[in-house]
Order: sequence, then C-alpha cells, then structure tokens
Amino acid sequence: MNIEIDKKEVLRYLGGTAKNNDQITDRLIDECIEEIKEISNPKSQYRIFDIKKNQNNIQILNSILILKGKDIIKHLIHSKKVAIMAVTLGIQVDQRIKYYGKTDLTKAVIFDACATTYIEEISDNLESEIKEIANQSNCNLTFRFSPGYGDFSLVVQDNILKVLNTSRIMGLTVSNEHILIPSKSVTAIIGFEDKSIKKPTGKVQKRADNEKCKTCLRYKNCIYLENGTFCEFRKKNL
Amino acid sequence: MEEIKIQYQKKVNYLSFVKKIFEEKNKKFILFDSAMGTTLQKMGLKAGEIPELFNFTHSDIILDIHKQNIKAGSDIIITNTFGANEIKLKGCKYSVEDVVQKAVSLARKAAGKKYVALDLGPTGQLLEPLGSLKFEQAYGLYKRQVIAGADAGADLIIIETISDLYEAKAAILAAKENSSLPVFCTMTFDQNGRTLTGTDPITMVNVLEGLGVDVIGINCSLGPKDILPIVDEILKYATIPVMVQPNAGLPEYVDGETVFNVSPEEFASFMGEIAKKGVRILGGCCGTTPEFIGILSDELKKIDPAVPEPVSFTCACSSTKTIIFNKNQPKIIGERINPTGNKIIKNALINQDYGEIINEAIVQKEAGADVLDVNIGLPEIDEPVIMVKLIKELQGIIDIPLQIDSANFEALEAGARIFNGKPILNSVTGKEKHMEQIFPIAKKYGACVIGLTMDEKGLPKTIEQRVEIAEKIINTANQYGIPKKNILIDCLVLTASTHQDQVLKSLKAMQIIKQKFGVTTVLGASNISFGLPRRDLINQTYMAMALTYGLDAPITDPLMPEIMETIFAYRVLSDIDKNSEDFISRYSNKQPEKLLLKEKTENSLSNIVIKGLLNQVEQKTLDLLKNTQPLSIIDNHLIPSLDIVGDMYDRGDIFLPQLIRSAETVKKAFKIIKSNMPHEQEKELTKGKILLATVAGDVHDIGKNIVKVLLENYGFNVVDLGKDVPIDSIVSACIEQNIKLVGLSALMTPTVENMKKTIEKLQKSDNECKIMVGGAVLNEKYANMINADYYGKDAREAVEIARKFFQNTK
Repeated sequence: MNIEIDKKEVLRYLGGTAKNNDQITDRLIDECIEEIKEISNPKSQYRIFDIKKNQNNIQILNSILILKGKDIIKHLIHSKKVAIMAVTLGIQVDQRIKYYGKTDLTKAVIFDACATTYIEEISDNLESEIKEIANQSNCNLTFRFSPGYGDFSLVVQDNILKVLNTSRIMGLTVSNEHILIPSKSVTAIIGFEDKSIKKPTGKVQKRADNEKCKTCLRYKNCIYLENGTFCEFRKKNL
Repeated sequence: MEEIKIQYQKKVNYLSFVKKIFEEKNKKFILFDSAMGTTLQKMGLKAGEIPELFNFTHSDIILDIHKQNIKAGSDIIITNTFGANEIKLKGCKYSVEDVVQKAVSLARKAAGKKYVALDLGPTGQLLEPLGSLKFEQAYGLYKRQVIAGADAGADLIIIETISDLYEAKAAILAAKENSSLPVFCTMTFDQNGRTLTGTDPITMVNVLEGLGVDVIGINCSLGPKDILPIVDEILKYATIPVMVQPNAGLPEYVDGETVFNVSPEEFASFMGEIAKKGVRILGGCCGTTPEFIGILSDELKKIDPAVPEPVSFTCACSSTKTIIFNKNQPKIIGERINPTGNKIIKNALINQDYGEIINEAIVQKEAGADVLDVNIGLPEIDEPVIMVKLIKELQGIIDIPLQIDSANFEALEAGARIFNGKPILNSVTGKEKHMEQIFPIAKKYGACVIGLTMDEKGLPKTIEQRVEIAEKIINTANQYGIPKKNILIDCLVLTASTHQDQVLKSLKAMQIIKQKFGVTTVLGASNISFGLPRRDLINQTYMAMALTYGLDAPITDPLMPEIMETIFAYRVLSDIDKNSEDFISRYSNKQPEKLLLKEKTENSLSNIVIKGLLNQVEQKTLDLLKNTQPLSIIDNHLIPSLDIVGDMYDRGDIFLPQLIRSAETVKKAFKIIKSNMPHEQEKELTKGKILLATVAGDVHDIGKNIVKVLLENYGFNVVDLGKDVPIDSIVSACIEQNIKLVGLSALMTPTVENMKKTIEKLQKSDNECKIMVGGAVLNEKYANMINADYYGKDAREAVEIARKFFQNTK
C-alpha cells in the first residue's frame, strides 16, 4: 500500500498551522511519518451486502447484522446495498504510542496524530475502491458512517467485526466496552444510492449538512463549527 | 510444588503419541484434515454466525465433512470447536461444554480408529497490556474447553491460528495442567514473516517448545508457496516435530464471495516440497476441502522426508525478540531494577507505583541492555504478587527479555508463568534442596536458569571445586529434562578488596567450565570494585579480563559508558569486530562517552523552557543551582515561564506539541532540582496531591498523561492510576491516600457512563473529595450532568482548577 501521510492533515489534528509550527516540531512530524510507515501493518477489507429495511432497523442480508438507530436509518434512507468496511494499522502502532507515552510525550502526541491521519487516508483509499464498484452498478456512495456517530451505538461493533471475521483476518478485535483494539482502527458502513436519486442543493443542502455534523462524535466540542467553518472530513464526505 | 512435579513426569507419556504413529504404524507422515469454517460458509453459514452452532443445527453436514476427510486419508480430524469459548459463545443457548461434547462426539463418530483433535482457536480478544483480556482470564477460557474436550474423549489438543504468543502460552498451560493429552500448537504468520502481534518463528519455537508442546508449527496465514520461508525458519530451530496447514492461497474477494485461488494439485505439489524438507505433519486451512487432502495424501506417498538438523544455542526471548548468547557479541544483562541500595526503586515497590521502575527499564534498554534483571527482594512486600504486577507492566513497554531474580521460589514461578516469552531465572545453586525447588519451574516454563557455583559447603575456595559444582548443576538439570543450553553458569564475583586471591580463580574456573561443558557464562560484574576508590577503573579492567576469559553475558549497569566502551574495544582486539567496523562507526570523531557534556547554552532557563530546548535544560539547571536556592529556581524561573507558555498556547501562538515539549523540559529541570535538594525541603515543593485516572473501559491515556505532566510541572504530586481503572480501585486509592482532588478522563461516549458511576461511588465514599473531569467527548454541560465538580477542557484548565482548589483549601 503506497499512501502518503499528508503533513498538513497531521498539523490540523494537532491544532497547528504553518504559522505556529516550529523547526523542532516540524522535524518530529517528519520522523513520525517515516516511523509509522515503517512499523505499521495496515490491513483493510470490505464486503458488500443487500439490505432489508424494517420499521425500526435495517437488516444486513445473509449476515447476523442488524443496524439500529435513527441516524443510521436516515443515513441509509436512499440506499439499497451497503459496503461494510474495516481498517486497522496494527497493534505495533499502539505499542509505539504507549512507549513514547513513557519516554517522550511530545513524540507520542505527534505519533498519534500521524497515525490518525494515516488511517483516515487508508480508509479514503478503500472507499475509492468501493466507489468504483458502485459506479459499475450506477450508484453513488454515502459517506462513511461509523459506530458511535449520533445514536448509532458502539455495541454494533462486535457484530461488524464478526461479519468481516476481522479478528482472524486482520487481528482487529473489540473490548468488552466495544472499543476497537488496535486503537488505530476504523469500521464503517457505506450506502449505495442510485445515481438517479435527486439530492437537495443550495440552502436546503447546507442545512442538511449542518444537520449531519450532529452525528459527529466531536460535534459538541467542534473547534471548526465554533469558528463558523467545518473540518476536512465534512468537506470530503458531506 | 507437588503439582509441578506431576506435570513433569507426565511429559514422558506425551512424547510417545507422535512417535507411536510414526514408528508403530510405520508412517512417514501424519495427515490432518481440510478447512471447516470456509466449507461451512459454502453450506449456508451466514456472515458472522457462530460456526459451532452447526454442530446442532446441521450435524449431518459436520459429520459428512469429517467423514469425507477420513475417506480422503486424514489420520487426525479436528473438531468444530474453533471458537467454542465463553466469549464467542456469549448469548448463544449452548454452553461451552454442550458444544465441545457434541463436536467431539460427531468427530468421534466419523473417525473410527483415526484420531480426534480438540480444536482451540484464539479467544477473539486481545490480551493485556494492549488489549483488556487478562492472561489469567484467557487461561480460564481455555481450561473450560480443555476439561470438556478431555471428558468428551478427544485424543489430543490442537491450539491453532494463534497470532499472540501470550495467548498460545495461556492455552498450552491450560491444556497441560488440565488434561494429560498431547498438545499441538500452530501459529499464524503474516507476509512480513511475523505474527500480527510481532512474534517471529525463532521466538515462537524457543518459547513454545520450552512450554513442552509435542508438535509446533504454522497454519492459516498464507498459501503453501508463500509460507515456505517461514517453514524454513521453523525447521532451522525446532527440535520437535513440525506441522504445517496453509490456506489454499491468499483470500480474494470476488463478487461478494471470498475465494482461494490455489488448486488442489498445486497445493499438493507445494506441500510435497514442504514435506521433503522434513515437515511430517500436514493438512489444510482456509479454502481447502477433502479433495485437497486426498490429492495431498497421494502426493506424500512419493516423498521421503529429510531429517532436519536444528541449530542449538542459549537464548532468552521476549514475545518479539530472541537474544542469542554467543561470544561474538557479549550480551548485557541490566542490573538496575533492584531495591538494594536504590531508594527510588525501593519506594516505587512499596507504593506500587511502577512509573520509576519502567523508566529505569527504558533507560537501560536505550543504553544497550539486551536483557533486564528484575529483582524486587524487599521483606515488606508480597514478592510473588508484586513480581506478577511488575512483569505485566514491564512487558507492556519493553521488548527485551527479562531475567527474574529472586531468592523466593514462589516469586520465580509466578514470574516465569506470567512472563510473555522465555525468561532467565536467577538463580539456582548446587544445593540439592535448591535444585529440587528451582529445576521443576525452569522445566515447566522452558526458562533458562543461572547456576551459581556454590553449594551446601558454601563458597568454594578452589578452581576445581567451582568446576565440580557447575558439573553437578548441569547434570542434575539434565535429569529434570533441562538441556544444557538452558543453563548459564555464574562463577560468582567476590570483591577484590576482601577476596583478592579469588578474583582470578573465579575467572579461570569460568574458562574451564565453558570449555569443558560448553555452557554460557554470566557474572555479576559490578561487585568486584566494592570498597575501593576509582570503582570505574576496577570495573572496566575487570570487564576486559572477564571477556578475555570467555564471559558471555555480564550482569552490570549499562548506564556506565566505560562498560560498553570496553566491550566494543574487546571485540576489536579479539578479532571479532572485523576491520573494526562496529568500533569505528561508533567511536570515530567522538569524544569518550563520559566526557560528552550536555549542550552548553547562552539561553536563559526561561527561554529554554519557552522554546522547549530539552537538551539544554540539564546543564543550565545545574549551573543555576550553584548559586540559587532550589525553591527560587522553581518559583522565579520555571513557573513564570510555564505561565508564559500557557498564555502563548491560549492565544494560538504555539500548539500542542510545543506546549508538551515545554512541559517536558520543566519536568527534566524538576528532576535535577529534586535530586539536589535535602529531603526535608522536598515537602515544601508539593502544592497538593491529585489522583488521575482514565475510567474503566477506556484505553486512551495520552490526554491524561499530558494533564499529569503539566500538573507535576506546577508542583502538584500526581498519583497516576493509569487507564481502564476499575471504579473500586479509584475509590479505595482515594481513601487510602487521603486524596482531596481527583481528575478523571474519558475519551469515548460509552465510558462516560463509567465515569458517572465512578463519581457516584466517590461521592458516596467516606473520603470527601472533589472531582474534575475532561476528555474529548465531554463538555461543561455533560460534566454537570454526571455531577462532576469541575470540567477542564484541556490540560491548562486542569492546572487552573488545581491551583484554585488548593489555594482555597489553604
């Protein structure tokens, strides 16, 4: 997998700008980017399923998975199929973050931000693969919707991993509290929508987009919304 | 101790199982069966469904798959119990015992006179320290499966598709301690030649063989072609039969289906290559079918397996690293984790605050230690209990092997059991009683053991006596089934100031012992100079002498630069470091290490803090200490600079990494100031005691660690309970330590619930305290909702809260 870690994104995660970045930090970011690429063992996979919409949930056919919650139902409102995806950087990244947490906290924080950037980029990459498949059946994709967004409970994580058999294939597991381990991992559900579906534009769309921000984990503390802007994630996905 | 001996005796029976098949039945190969899981998927198993349920709902299908494999030529079939543990069966109507009983009986029915292997797969959760499943819990999960499987009449146990060496260890111990069945263990490797948790083949072989498995190997992972290099590695080291069960190629995802692209013929042909190399137990994993087994069975008839010639050496292993002892590069065993004469370690052990011990481990490793000795011998602590806790902490951070050092054999066993790897036990003497206690432990856990050349008669006076005792130790170990390669002999260093005549004798004895018995040698080299001036000079000279006499591994202080320097110089002079390459690359254009001064600086301390110039702070602080009161440095230099940094951060002039770097710079200054301060004055430093913890279920702790550093910078004494801390632990720590301010952190929505419960319990407890909370998912409103007293949006605010809190309480 040849994916570059975007330094600008790393800075953004750290709350930095080109202006307040200094030489020492800049060099550390470069080092961490190199190191992550060296020690991580990224794994990703997805499967595509037909879905059946019930009154209070969405059933993923030919699997044990049932999706519950207003937000995921809204998210898949126009979808007829879904891709379920999982990505992980591997346990070595957690180990290294833990080690730097004891030896060099500055580096730990930067390393963590680089890892987050990297996994987002790998997820983007996987998504574009899925997009090609969607294109073939004349579909667009919804954005990636992950457990924990809005009222989409983290509990579903357990069954998502079972459906993808991630513990065996990618070493991706879940704790009793439904938290992904390794921690630098992502699971998400992407809907396939017919291209013929007309979506609102202009003001209506903007309101809808702001609405979507509410499904974000960081919505209540979002530093971007505070300043009247929004994050890269939304720019790409909404 | 009784239990260990029983285990050891059973070992004799174990070996005969594989041998019986090979010799009595005159077989060249033992054939296992094909995949269960991928076959069931084709038969209608839904994605994510528990495959073990098919034992009940589709028992005809399971029976049929078993029968087909037997018909195809399998000697051993594996029960459909891969995930039959409490975790994976949670919420299903059958118990572990139900599933195992049913699965074994189905296999039994198909097997006839062939054998049935009870399948144990991974637990499905990651073990601590990176995951949350405890080693003891994993052991408990496997124990239940093993007992059920033995009761149901399985002939052997196969532990397979394991990525985590620690999990393999838990399963093997559970299998051996709760049944008398033979144990096979195969792990799964990635394309990079390691398991997903980082274990390489050499480490797997050395650790798992040591635990006494009958057969070792690899399964799943890759196709039979790509698996070859890993098989080669395993064959290079394994002294027991090797087993290989690859996938039918790498899985590919085509049109919604997982497909494996190696045909049965190709599979058989590559497996033939593997068999020729000397792998005599074979089968198939994901994507293989009975057809694969049938064709493989025919292929194997044409093949005569080679007899592998494994290499033998002394080694210790962590879960990811094998340290081989050989004379080409003397290995350093770091001695600094020892409470004797080290107040910091002593206090850390008594207070069970392992941060300082972990630091000691890290600095030794970074200075070049290959193995770390862990000695916690203090009369006031429960050594076996603390040994387990400390080893868990250490192996979560450090990736080098540990040497468990104790006079308490229960602590040695507890340590050997919990250590994730192959440890060294320090030590056994030639006393009969002592050997009776220690050798069963070394045998059971496959550990190396250091033999001290002394016995009932005390310290020997002559060279000959030393050699005799070493021989006795080596021979007795052999009677316990411990190979010579697992014995390291220590000829005991006596201080030159009191036993001058013994110095050369012990070195000469070491030389003879090494030549005569071919064992690895160690020496606790730092004692030599005790009571003399210029200890560095004596130590360095003695090190050079000992290396010349054949020392493989000094137990010493790796932070003394002259020891490393001597080793590198020795390697040049003894023609090991060819063309002096290592020496030149390490020392050319460099001053002697101990003269390397910390960077001189024209910057003021304030500037150093603001810019976060970590490499200049030590020298500057030392300079200031010459004519400034320690407290004045803190109050007039460090704290005001930190305030400036904080303001810059609030304004956005600097961002998080710079804030932390400044904080780490202050931390370094603090450490120097403290070590230069009389003890009674240290108390004045403390501005208040604060307990920090990330709540139960939450494994994120970077945020909490940032808060900790900043609080410490401002002089608060932080009791850090770490992450994923159970509610009761927080409450009891608050009561015991009389804590008045608690900081809790949570990063995930579901764990906020645990935060709420923790707060409830704290507020109901007898200890009156205030609680501040923080973390990505919290805000002021949330904090109020869960009844926290304060909310801090970042580390800076936490400091302000603490400052105000302790000002008001005064």
